[in-house]
Amino acid sequence: MPIVLESLAKIVFMFLLIMGMVPALIWAERKGAAFIQDRTGPNRAAIGGVRLAGLVHPIADVLKLVFKEDVQPEARHKAFYNLAPWLAMTIAVSSYAVIPFGDFITIAGRKIPLVVADLQVGALYVLAVASLGTYAVVMAGWASNNKFTFLGGIRATAQMISYEISMGLALMGLMMIFSSLRITDIVAGQGDMIFGFLPKWGVVVQPLGFILFITAVFAETNRNPFDLPEGESEIVAGFHLEYSSLKFALFFMAEYCHMVVGAALIASFYFGGYQIPWAPRAVLEANAGGLLTAKLIGVAVAASVFALLFLRRAQKEKNKFNDNRDREPVLGAGLWILVAIGAAGALLLKPWTVGPQGAEMVATVFQISAFVAKVVFFAWLFIWVRWTLPRFRYDQLMHLGWKVMLPLGVANLVVTALVMAFV
Amino acid sequence: MEGFLFWFCGSLMLLGSLMTVTQRSAVVSAVWLIFAFICAAGIFALLNASFLAVMQVLVYAGAIMVLFLFVIMMLQGPELEGERKLLKLPMWPAVAVPPMAIAVMIVGYLQNKGLTQWGPDAPESFGGPNHVAELLLGKYLLAFELISIVLLVALIGALAIGKDERKLPWK
Repeated sequence: MPIVLESLAKIVFMFLLIMGMVPALIWAERKGAAFIQDRTGPNRAAIGGVRLAGLVHPIADVLKLVFKEDVQPEARHKAFYNLAPWLAMTIAVSSYAVIPFGDFITIAGRKIPLVVADLQVGALYVLAVASLGTYAVVMAGWASNNKFTFLGGIRATAQMISYEISMGLALMGLMMIFSSLRITDIVAGQGDMIFGFLPKWGVVVQPLGFILFITAVFAETNRNPFDLPEGESEIVAGFHLEYSSLKFALFFMAEYCHMVVGAALIASFYFGGYQIPWAPRAVLEANAGGLLTAKLIGVAVAASVFALLFLRRAQKEKNKFNDNRDREPVLGAGLWILVAIGAAGALLLKPWTVGPQGAEMVATVFQISAFVAKVVFFAWLFIWVRWTLPRFRYDQLMHLGWKVMLPLGVANLVVTALVMAFV
Repeated sequence: MEGFLFWFCGSLMLLGSLMTVTQRSAVVSAVWLIFAFICAAGIFALLNASFLAVMQVLVYAGAIMVLFLFVIMMLQGPELEGERKLLKLPMWPAVAVPPMAIAVMIVGYLQNKGLTQWGPDAPESFGGPNHVAELLLGKYLLAFELISIVLLVALIGALAIGKDERKLPWK
């Protein structure tokens, strides 16, 4: 029974992590787009005057999508039309099962690895699930019975076939170096050092493989510059043209889930996953007390600075709007003061005298934070690229996939094999 | 648990294959076939053949069926016309396979009634990539390479049949 509870807890943790990141990413996408295009971005939706720099907009979005009328085309294929959004979401979240988000924790004498399913063939599982992801798009495109959606589905198929091979080839070099298909082995192997100072991250030992993999991941997520299945300027909205209301919301969320999966995969395969460079777990555990103290002091100082900034704004803009929005800086300052007091109060508990059990917890929390930080960075990279690069033309897409990435992938594999055999 | 999973995957697989051969629309048939492939992967996983299970999804359900769907959709595969009556005689063997498989399953169940162990007597690493690689690139290397030549022959054959004869690369 404990093993079922364990798995359940891990699944719930992972699911909440993804579902928590989706609205945050939607916000980051809008603000990021605004930043890159030199605009302000969303800042109108508010709860009682508090706008949270646009973070209220995802909530407004959800309300809108839930209460919108679900318009469906008359000539749709009913079963597939309803199945497709569900399939998109399910497949998007199922990759997470094999991604380790931490090393292990010990609870009641049991050593629990922090991965939902530690499969022997984890890396292949990721590829397999990614290859199934196309069906949602194809099904949606076909079942909507519309020429534009159909073209979107066909484009998704062709794109997936072209880029999946490069993705597999890129990963193969990595599998050879760490001689395992188990993702936990690959992540653990990246904790080593080369020449004593360089972390043995995938991106260091497989730089070309990393570029191929990240390109293929962008193609698999169907985001710019690879969003031909959507292609607003050519085929309206592509595969999800005929979807509205919550069915559209599922496709929308699935795209962001794919982004988080892609970011987590890049982080795990090429950037050491939960490993903190130059600070292996033993070092973390040995210095747990000091780390915890430093972290609390850092949080307290940062929160005080934020509180001061908010207070200054509250004073300066006392009557800027003459409505509820004037309360915003005051509320923000109060919140940050609470955080600062909490962090300072926690210092009274003498965190530097943490015991061995606590030290392990601290090390685990630091590692999970490192993983989440890497995932957030790569998720931001997706947004960055989307608002920087234009969309490929279809022939450019095929040229890149078959004539550039495939030969490079094979070359990478051969060179890796030669180096491993003779060096 | 394993017994439950076996019956779950097995029965869904039979349902999938039955639906594949009885659907009117080629696209729907293909989707049911994907479903059956995924259930077959479940059976492989139950047999400790993790590599095979993932490959079943990756290669068959993923890559090959995507091509199938692509071609069917591009050519607008025909919806079978005609009134809803039982299939013509040549189709019967195809339809008869799933019920026969069900019969085999039932007989097997009756014979093994009281059996407690459903998984195989194999170590966990049995069906893993290392083991498969050792067999495939060691003991069965010759057969493995010969099969790839057979596939190449089929590929060239398809090219020769499909292409206009005057435009063939070797003419």
